Amino acid sequence: MSVSAPILRRRANQAALYLSVCTLVLIMLIPIGWMLSTSFKPLRDVFQTPPQWIPDEITFKNYVAQFNEVLGTLMLNSMIVAVGAAVLATFVGAMTAYGISRFRFKGGALLMLFFMGSLAFPVPLLMISLYSLFVKLGLLNTYAALILGHTAVTIPVSIWLLKNFFDQLPREVEEAAYVDGASPLKVFLFVVLPMARPALAASAIFVFVVSWNELLFGLTFTSTTDMRPLPAGITLVFLQEFEGAWSEMMALAVMVSIPVLILFFFFQKTFLRGVTAGAVKG
Amino acid sequence: MFSIRRHPVFFVVLFAPALLLVGGLMLFPIVNGIRLSFTNASPLRAETRFVGVENFIYLFEDPRFWEVLGNTVYICGLSTIFCTILGLVVALLLDSGIRFVGFFRAAVFQVWVVPWIVIAILWGWLFNDEWGIVNQFLRSTGIIEGQMAWMFEPKLAPWVVIFAYSWRAVPFVMVIALAALQGIPKEVNEAAEIDGAGYLNRLRHITLPLLQNILLVAALLEAVRFLQEVTIPLVLTQGGPIGATNVLSLFTYKAAFTEWDFGLASAAGTVWLLFVIVFAGVYNRFLLRKSA
Repeated sequence: MSVSAPILRRRANQAALYLSVCTLVLIMLIPIGWMLSTSFKPLRDVFQTPPQWIPDEITFKNYVAQFNEVLGTLMLNSMIVAVGAAVLATFVGAMTAYGISRFRFKGGALLMLFFMGSLAFPVPLLMISLYSLFVKLGLLNTYAALILGHTAVTIPVSIWLLKNFFDQLPREVEEAAYVDGASPLKVFLFVVLPMARPALAASAIFVFVVSWNELLFGLTFTSTTDMRPLPAGITLVFLQEFEGAWSEMMALAVMVSIPVLILFFFFQKTFLRGVTAGAVKG
Repeated sequence: MFSIRRHPVFFVVLFAPALLLVGGLMLFPIVNGIRLSFTNASPLRAETRFVGVENFIYLFEDPRFWEVLGNTVYICGLSTIFCTILGLVVALLLDSGIRFVGFFRAAVFQVWVVPWIVIAILWGWLFNDEWGIVNQFLRSTGIIEGQMAWMFEPKLAPWVVIFAYSWRAVPFVMVIALAALQGIPKEVNEAAEIDGAGYLNRLRHITLPLLQNILLVAALLEAVRFLQEVTIPLVLTQGGPIGATNVLSLFTYKAAFTEWDFGLASAAGTVWLLFVIVFAGVYNRFLLRKSA
C-alpha cells in the first residue's frame, strides 16, 4: 500500500482543488443565478421561504411586460450612444496610438502618462465644465453630448490598448508597403488598421461596455425620456414607479445585461488578450 | 520610426483629433474646474466672484465632509483589498494545473460586464431585509434571527456597497493575475520543487514576489475606479442611511447638479484630485518595486 499512498494523496488533492474552484465560481455566480431564477417566477412565488432556485412554475410574463415603448427607447438611445462612442474613441485612439508608437519624438512617454493619469480625473469635476461647454454649444439633450463625454473618459484606455498592440506589430509589412511607394496615411488606413482588427475590437468592446454603464452623463446631459440612455432612464422612470414587483425588475435587469453579455461571449478571447497583453507587459 | 521633420502633415493628422477631444473634454475641464473651486460659480447666480479658499475652508469645517471622506476611504479601501485578495486566490486556483481553465475564467469574467445599474437593482433584491436571499441564508444557518436591515443600518449599508464593488472587480484582478501567473516560466517552480520547496514556500518566495508589482498596479487601478463609481450609492442606498454611504463621488455630483453649487463642488473635486495624486505618488514611491 505504501506505493499507492502518494497517488491517493495526489488524487485527493486534485479533488479538493476542483471542489474549491467550483465552489468559488458558483459563489461568484450566485447573484446572476438568483437574478435569472427570480425573473422566471410569477410574483407570488418570489416570496417563498425557503427560497427556490428552480421555479415551480416558469413564466415569461415578466419579460413580456418589459416590451414597452419606454424601455425600447432607452435601449435604442444607449445603443446609438455606445456604438457612436466605441467607433469614435477607437478610431481616434488608433490614430493617436499609432502616432505615439511610430513617431520618434520627445514627449511620447509623457503623453501616455497624461492619458493614463487622466483616468483618475474626478468625473463630476469634469462634468461641471462640460455642462457649461455643452450649454454653449447647444449640445444638451443630444446624443452628441453623451458620445463626446463617453469618448473622453474611455479614449485613454483605447490608446493604451492599441499602443501596446502597435508596439508589438512587426514593421516588415509596413516597410514593404512604403517600398511600393504608398504614403504613410494610406499605409496606416489600408495596411495597419486591417491588421489591428483584434485590438480595435478589444478597444471598441471596452468603450461600449463603459458607455452602456455610464449613469452621471446620462442623468445630467439629457433632460427628456426620449434622449435618456438606459442607466439614467431606469433610475428616473422604472425605479420611481417600482413597487415591489421584484420578478419584473429582475427581468428588466436581465434584459439590460443581455447586449453586453452577448458581446462578451462572442469576443471574450479577443477582449481578454487585449486587456492582459498590455497589463502584464507594463 | 518616423521623424516629425519628414512627415509633419501625417504627425498632425494623427494627433489632432485626440488632442482636440482630450484637450477640450478633459484638459480644459480639469484646469477650469480647479479655477472654479476658488469662485462662487453657480448657474443660479448671474455673476461669478473670486472667493479665494473659502470653499475649501467651508468643506473642511463641515463635519459631514469629513464623514464623506471617511466613508470613501472605508468603502473603496476595503473593496480594493477584498477584490485583490479574492482575485488572486481564484487565479492561483485556476493556475494549479486543473483543466477547463478557459471555462472557469469565462464564467467568472462575465461578472465584469454586468452593468452597474443592474447590480444596483439586483443588490436591492439580494439584500432585501425580509425576502432577500442573503438574509434567508443567514437565518437558515442560524447566524441571525429575524431581519438584518442591510439598507437601514448605518453600520451595514456600507457593506452592501463593499460586497457589490468587490464582487464586480474580482474578475479583473483574476484575469490580470492569471495572465501574469501563466507568464512565469514553469522551470522556476519545478526547480524549487526538486529542491524540496512545498507549495506554500514556493508561493511565498517565488510566485508572490513575481506577482507583487502587477497586483499592486491592478489594485491601484481598481481603487481609482472605485473612487469614480457612483451608481450604487446614488441609485441603491442614495447615500444613506444617515449619510453612511455618501461617498466623495456622490457628494461632488450632488453639490454640482442637485444644489448647483459649482464652486463648492469644484473644491470637493479638487480635493479628490489632490488626494489621488498624493496617494498614487506615495504608492508608487514606497510600494512598487522598480523594474531594472
